[in-house]
Parts: sequence; C-alpha cells; structure tokens
Amino acid sequence: MTDAGRQGFRHRQSAGRRIGRGLQFAGLGFALLWTLAPLYWMVATSLKTELEATQLDPTLFPHSITLQNYTGLAGGSLPFMQFFVNSVLTCLVAAIVAVVIAIPAAYALSRAKFRAASQVGYLILIVRMFPMVVLLAPLYLILLTTGLLDTHFGLIVGYTTFGLPFAVWMIKGFIDAVPIEIEEAARVDGYPRWQILLRIVVPLIYPGLITTGIFVLMEAWNNLIYPLTFITTLDKQTLPAALQLTFTGQFKTDWGGMMAASVVTTLPLMIAFFTVQRSMVRGLTAGSVTGT
Amino acid sequence: MARIRMSRRVLMLSAAVFAALPAMAQDITLTFANWATAEATTRDGMEQVIARFEEANPGIRIDSQAIAFPEIGRQMVLRIRSGNPPDVAQIAGNDTFLLAASGGLQALDDYAGETLATLKPGSYAPFQTEKGLVAMPWNQAPAGFWFSRDILKGAGLDPDNPPATIEDLNAAMAKVKEAYPDIIVLGMDTTNRAFSLQSNWPWMRAFGALPIGEGATGADTPEMKAYLGWMRMLAQEGYIDPGRKIGEFRPLIAQGQVAFLWDQVLVQGVIQNASGIDDATFNAQFGVAPMPAGALGSGYSFEGGHQLVMFDKSAQKDAAWKFINYLATDEAAAKLYTVDTNRSIPPAASFADPELAASLDTPVIEAFSTSIIPTITPEPFGPDFATAATAIMAGVQEAVTSDRPIDDIAADIQSQLDR
Amino acid sequence: MRPGAAKKAHLSRPMRGRAPLLDGMVVPTLIVLALIIGYPVVSTLMLSVQQYDLINDAAPSYVGMRNFSDIASDQIFWTAVKNTLIYTFGTVFVAAFLGAAMALMLENLNGPFGNAARAIVVSPWAVPFVVVAFLFRFIYMQKGGVLNAVLMHLGIIEAPIPWLNDSDLALPAIIVANIWTTTPFFFLLVASSLSGIPDAVLESARVDRAGTWATLYHIKLPYMRNPLVIGSLLMIIANFNDFAKVWVMTQGGPGFSTTTLVVYVYRMAFENFRLGYASALGVIWLILLLVTAALYFRLLRGRD
Repeated sequence: MTDAGRQGFRHRQSAGRRIGRGLQFAGLGFALLWTLAPLYWMVATSLKTELEATQLDPTLFPHSITLQNYTGLAGGSLPFMQFFVNSVLTCLVAAIVAVVIAIPAAYALSRAKFRAASQVGYLILIVRMFPMVVLLAPLYLILLTTGLLDTHFGLIVGYTTFGLPFAVWMIKGFIDAVPIEIEEAARVDGYPRWQILLRIVVPLIYPGLITTGIFVLMEAWNNLIYPLTFITTLDKQTLPAALQLTFTGQFKTDWGGMMAASVVTTLPLMIAFFTVQRSMVRGLTAGSVTGT
Repeated sequence: MARIRMSRRVLMLSAAVFAALPAMAQDITLTFANWATAEATTRDGMEQVIARFEEANPGIRIDSQAIAFPEIGRQMVLRIRSGNPPDVAQIAGNDTFLLAASGGLQALDDYAGETLATLKPGSYAPFQTEKGLVAMPWNQAPAGFWFSRDILKGAGLDPDNPPATIEDLNAAMAKVKEAYPDIIVLGMDTTNRAFSLQSNWPWMRAFGALPIGEGATGADTPEMKAYLGWMRMLAQEGYIDPGRKIGEFRPLIAQGQVAFLWDQVLVQGVIQNASGIDDATFNAQFGVAPMPAGALGSGYSFEGGHQLVMFDKSAQKDAAWKFINYLATDEAAAKLYTVDTNRSIPPAASFADPELAASLDTPVIEAFSTSIIPTITPEPFGPDFATAATAIMAGVQEAVTSDRPIDDIAADIQSQLDR
Repeated sequence: MRPGAAKKAHLSRPMRGRAPLLDGMVVPTLIVLALIIGYPVVSTLMLSVQQYDLINDAAPSYVGMRNFSDIASDQIFWTAVKNTLIYTFGTVFVAAFLGAAMALMLENLNGPFGNAARAIVVSPWAVPFVVVAFLFRFIYMQKGGVLNAVLMHLGIIEAPIPWLNDSDLALPAIIVANIWTTTPFFFLLVASSLSGIPDAVLESARVDRAGTWATLYHIKLPYMRNPLVIGSLLMIIANFNDFAKVWVMTQGGPGFSTTTLVVYVYRMAFENFRLGYASALGVIWLILLLVTAALYFRLLRGRD
C-alpha cells in the first residue's frame, strides 16, 4: 500500500476502525513483550553475579552489573573460543558443501521436465523427514570405519545429511523463479547445460544461494545430537553441544555463566539471520508461491 | 583390482615401517577418557596431575579426551562395540557396571593385587564382581544428609542434632516451612536420570522398598507405596522443589535457601567456592549426618565416587595400570586432585603425608567415615538399571506431580519393570 | 501425487525428456544422498527386524516382526506418539496463527517503529534451540523462576506453579517455548506473501468498500494459504525431529508426560542400547511422517 493511498482513506475511518487500531496496538504490545521478555531475561541474567543469578527470589534488574560471566568464558579453563571456532568452521563448510552439491541437482529438477521430476523433488524433501536420531547409529558406524569419527570432517558429513536435501529443495525453488526464456538464447547458441547453469542461472540466483547457505548453516548450528555423538573429545566440540555439556556437569548449574554463553552462541546466528531473513522464507516456500 | 590391492599393501607396509621407526624411540601414548577435563571446576587440577604423571614417567604420554559426564557411559559402550576404546577411562555409577556387562573391560585383579591391601575394603568391594575386579576406586563421594544450622536454629530446632528418623524429619520440615515459607526445605534430585535412581535408592530402602535388584520384591508393594506416598506429601506440603538437578540446589544452599540437602561429600567444596567462606565458618553453618532412619530402623547412603577402568583392547596395559595406580593411590595426586579439586575422599586406608592426613581430618569427613559410609547400601546396578531407572523415576515423578492414586502408579511401575 | 497433475506441469514446459536417474546433473547429489542417507536408512530397515543389543556381546539375530508386535503393546510408545502429535501440531497451529496475526498487524506499519517491531518479532528464530531450552527451563523454575516470581508479584497467582513438573502442564509449557521460537518463521512467511499481493487487487477491494475482515478473508487469505501449507509442513517435519528442547527441559518427564518419539527412540538406542527396537520405532516414525506428507501434498494439489 502506498502512503498516498492510505492518506486518501484516513478520513473515512469510523469509530470501529479506531477501536480496531487500538486492538492492533494492544496486540503489537503483546507481541513485542512476548518476544522480548525471554531475550531480556537471558541478557539480564548473564550480567548478574553467580549468587544473584541463582537466588530463589529473582531480581528483575541486575543489582550490580558484572561482566564476570563473559570474562569467565574467555579466560576460563574451558576453551570457549575454540568451541566457537569449531562451530563456525563446521557449519560454514557444511553450508558451502551442501549448496555446491545441490546446485546441479536443483537445476536439473527444475528445468529438465521429465515426468518424475516433481516426485524426485518431493522424495528429496521426504528424505529430510527421516528421524535424525535413527540415522545416528548407522552414521556413527560409517564414520568409524572410515576413521572420520571425532573429526570435523565427519561432523560436516553429518550436517550434510540434512543440509543437502533442504538445499536442493530451496535452490530448486529459486531456479523455478528464473524464466526459462533467459536461457533460450544461450541454448540456441549451443552452449552445454553446465555452462548455461554456471554462466547464466547461478549469477541470477546468487542471493538465493546465500540464503540457502545460511539456512543450512543455521540448521547445523542448531544441531545438538550430531556433535554430541560424532565428536568425542571436548576440544573439538561445537558451541551448542559444549553449552549443554559443560554447564550441567557433576558439580553445579551455573545459570549466569550459561546465559552469558547463550548470548555468545546466539549472536552469530542472529547476525547471519538478519542479513537474509526475507529471502530465506521466500526460498523455503518458493515452490508454492510461484505456483509450480 | 589386484593391482590396487597390491599397491595398498605396499602403502600399508611402508606406512607401518615409517610408523615403527620413530616409535621405537618414542613414548607410549595412553588415551584417557574423562570428564574431569570437561568441567571448569576440575579441568585445571586434572591437567596438573596428568602433567606430573608424565614428568614422573618419561616414557608415557597421556592423551586426555574430555568427554562430558552425562555422555561418557554411552560413548564408552559405542567405542567398545566399534573396537576403538581408550586405554583408560574415568567412570561412575551404573556406567561402571554397564561397561563391565558389555565385556570390554580388563579385570584388574592381577594388577591391583598388592595395592588393594592398602585401601579401605569398602572402597573396592562393590567392584569385585564375578568378572573379577572391574574397576579401581579413584575417589569416594558418598551422600549424606546435609543441614543448615542457621535455619534449624531459626525454626526453633536443635542446630546440632538433625532429625534422626523420618518421623522427626517430617516434624522438622513442618517447622522449617512455618518459619521460612519461601525456602526449599529438602533438596533432592527428582529428575528422570539413572543418577536420580542412584540418589533416591537409599530413601526407597529406608522405607523397606526393594523394587529391583537382588531379592527384589517389586514396585507394587506396601513399602514402595509408603515411599511414593511420602514423596507426594513432600511435594504437596511444598517441602521439595521437584525437577531440579542436584547441581542446581548447591548454589542455593550456599545462600542459605535450602534447609536439608541430600547430597554427596563434594558439596562442601561447591558451597565454599560459591560463598567464599572458610572451613571454620562452613562447619559453624553447615553439618552432615546419616539419613534419618525409616521403617527398617536405619537410613542408608549411596557411593557416588568415581572409578578408573582399563579396557581389554588396550595394547599397553602395564603403562595403563601405572597411570590408574598413580591417580588412585599417589598421595600427591590424591591431594592435588581428589581432595583439593574434586573435594572427595581418596580410597587409601591411611596416608604417609601428614598434610594430606590433616586435610582429611575435618568434621565432615569424620562424620562420613564413622557414621555415613557404614550405611552405604548396594545399588542394583547392571545392564537393566537405566531402563528400570526410567520406569521407577517416572513413577516417582508422577507421584510427586500428579494426584493419580499411588496404587495405580505403583502398579504401572511394576508393569514397566516386567516388560 | 496424481499423474494428471504431473502431466499438466509436464506439458506446460518445453519438452526435454530425460529419465531422472540418468540425468548427469542429479547424479552427484544422488550419490552423496545414497551414501549418507540411503545406507543408514537401509541399515535401519534391516535392524528393525533384528534383536541387536549393543550392551551384550551377542551378534544381531533375526526376530521377524517381533519388534513391531512389541511396539504395538508398548504403552509408552503410544504415549510418545500422542505427545509427539500434540507437540508438533499444537506448536505449528498456534505459531502459524500468531505469526499470521503479527504479520497482519504489522502489515501497514511503516517508518522506524514498524521496522524495529518487525526486526524484534523475528529475532527468536535466530536463537539456537539449546539456548531456548535452557532459557525457558530457567524461566519456568518453580522456585527461583522469573515467570512465577512475576506472576506472584502481580498477584495473579498465590503459590508458585510447577510449570515443568506437573504432568498436565509440562507439555504445554514446552510447547509455549517452542511456539516462541517458531512464530517468527510464520511471521516472515505471511509477511512476504502479503507483500506479494498486487496493489491493484487491494485497491479494487477498497473501491468496493470491503471491510477489514472481508478483505482479509476474500483477498489476503488465498494468498497466504499455500505458503502456510508448505511452511507448516516444513515445521511439522522439524518438530517431529525436535530433540533439544524436550531433552534439556524435562528429559521426557515428569512421568512420561513429555516423552516424544525422538526422546523415546534416543533412550532406547543410547540408554538401553536396544538398536533393533529403536530402529523399528524409527521405521514406524517414517511411515507416520510419510502419511502426514502425503496428506499435505494432497491438500496442496487440491487447489489446482
């Protein structure tokens, strides 16, 4: 809706519309509170001292703001920087690998209109449904026999199991949106399909590829079971798994430290997410939005 | 194909030669799976002990693999099955017996023969199974009934004489609740984990219940129902705070927010760390006693200490034993790690180092040694323990959190155990 | 998939007939998928008819359909199925509704406030699941949890409520946490489909003096329908597989009141080490998901 358009209708606002407006703002207020309250609590707790963070009658605002929980992460005996690097490294590589392998398949599924193309497309999505927990044991054995257990490479393979089907599905959606006529000229000139894909299609869907990559990265970052199972030594562990592992140890649950680590775990994801949020959803649902 | 196989053989051969050449002159590397280096509280202490061992044994290098406490049992079973266990592992609770049952452990009788004579018999007896000595005790961390003297005093109770029977306890909890309505009267772990059954088992025994294990009478018994009914009363009266892990009570008792706590010996260290109080202040504020006696006329305790196991796949068992023995019995290691870092009790019967002996001569250790450790009751550990724990603790949680008839809950537990 | 529908799509595009599996461009993906998913799936199918307990030394033995008949009489399995369905559909429906409501509320709100509000309401989606789980467990604590503290200070409740420690409240409480993280997805989805409605369509509705609700129902809803259907399918798949939240918050308790399929399978496979039984559970799970997906695709195609 354009601003001019809205202006033109303003004078027609009845009392009912005004009540509607009031409801709208009440609803918005609720939405903001609902979203922000837990996030506020995470940050506020991370700034409290250990004793204040655990006390039975919680303080809504930190009495004395301290950064000790954050400095504890950086300077503590556990290698949190290493966990962070591990997470970034494995998730980033998994995202790139998944996208690169997915591009040709997505293109073929989108363009080559063999009868079973849509079935193969759905099949790939269905593959994504298979319970990760059940895949764990066989995957563990594969990694073991290939000597990839407890390596970042093995973890990347694990991430690819769910990242790849999703990447194919999303990239296919982006390619579907590229009019086939754009390729016709190149095809007439006799360029092979690989060339058409790399020279014409890929540059056009470049933002979509980034979006897909970040989606896979986020899913990988969120994954808990795979690093818990495939990584056996702590120094190679990812941030979310280390969070689960090191803050609920045999001694005590340190809520302040945990919330500080949570903030640190969340920030990279949030940054990645905000760069692409809009096109990400469009990619996920492209298949339906464009009506294929 | 034949050519590929040939070249691979050549490759392997040359690799073996290259590997063997420097190896002859090089150290033995022992892999040591443990959670001591996976937790901030113990990591530094553990690494120092390992460094000292390497210094004292120039031929042996320790490759420490940090694995989280809740994961280690599962990891070890998977690694035994897949043929790449470590040489040595830190292990505790049911996991020790799970590994023993899986058949991947080396019996330690031949190695430990003389050493055992220097240990407290109770420290290793539980690990002498029909498969031999399956684990070496590293430290003892039995559970006791901790109480806050300040709170008892404030509630008009005797701060030096905690309740001796469950009936006294019920009356004392009522008084504490009246005086301090907002604190947690009794801290106990009611999560659904194998550890929770281990921790609650002595309470069940105090009521005469024996749902599983040797001579089990099952869950559908008057004794078990009495226990479940008592647990429900605790929740309804607001004495306990269900669902908290034991580690979540510890910072609270340090702040005087918990009156009674069913917890292991190591809690003293956690409290002192959190609140910064010295030994004298600690002993003035807190005490520990045996569990109040139940229907059988006695309270019980459980051993929550850690053990060391050697895997039968290990190619360097003598070196592995040297390391195990060092961790468990070397006095410097015991002082640095077991006492000062892990805040638990070394298994040795006596100590040559007067400083170490003195550091163990505290009212708390005294209470444990004379009146609590003798009440340790065996746990029904074994391959089925985790399944049984899920069934029993689910029943306990139901008793605590719902108002379903106790009879139905007990019957349900039993039908789960029968599966 | 109805053949007719496939054919329609087929005819509307240039003919470039190639058999799918022979298409060189699909092959690399298929090879990788076959290795990392095909093989595990096949071995799961094979394990599901065997007794294979990691804990004893015995080799896997063929037991036919016994695992499946055991599952049929397994009370906890049925509880887990029920909980999984409640968890998944409860989350997806409420989150879809909330997300759509938020998108509609923010639709006409421009300027810095609107942009800030949009940025805020999507932010929970970027919070890792483990963090969500720990955060809400902390918030929900019976004593010392901020939710009870606030409600008591406001005088709404008299005594602390055991959110995660009541058989009836625990699952809804986890669902609320899950809705918190899932709503932004639907918000983005609906917001982008609303922005895709051509201005001319909305303008003509205005000229016809259609009311807010009529515009919503007749104009906006049809544009939102398909993205919502596809989006919910994706979220249903994701929530069927969701492990971290339940595991961190309750481990499936109290009792079995929050035990979902994924928690149950995890316990079977990695606490009890009964791989055969766990695999049979996985096979049933896959069938459940396939049925759900088939229903969904039918729903999607029904529009044509």
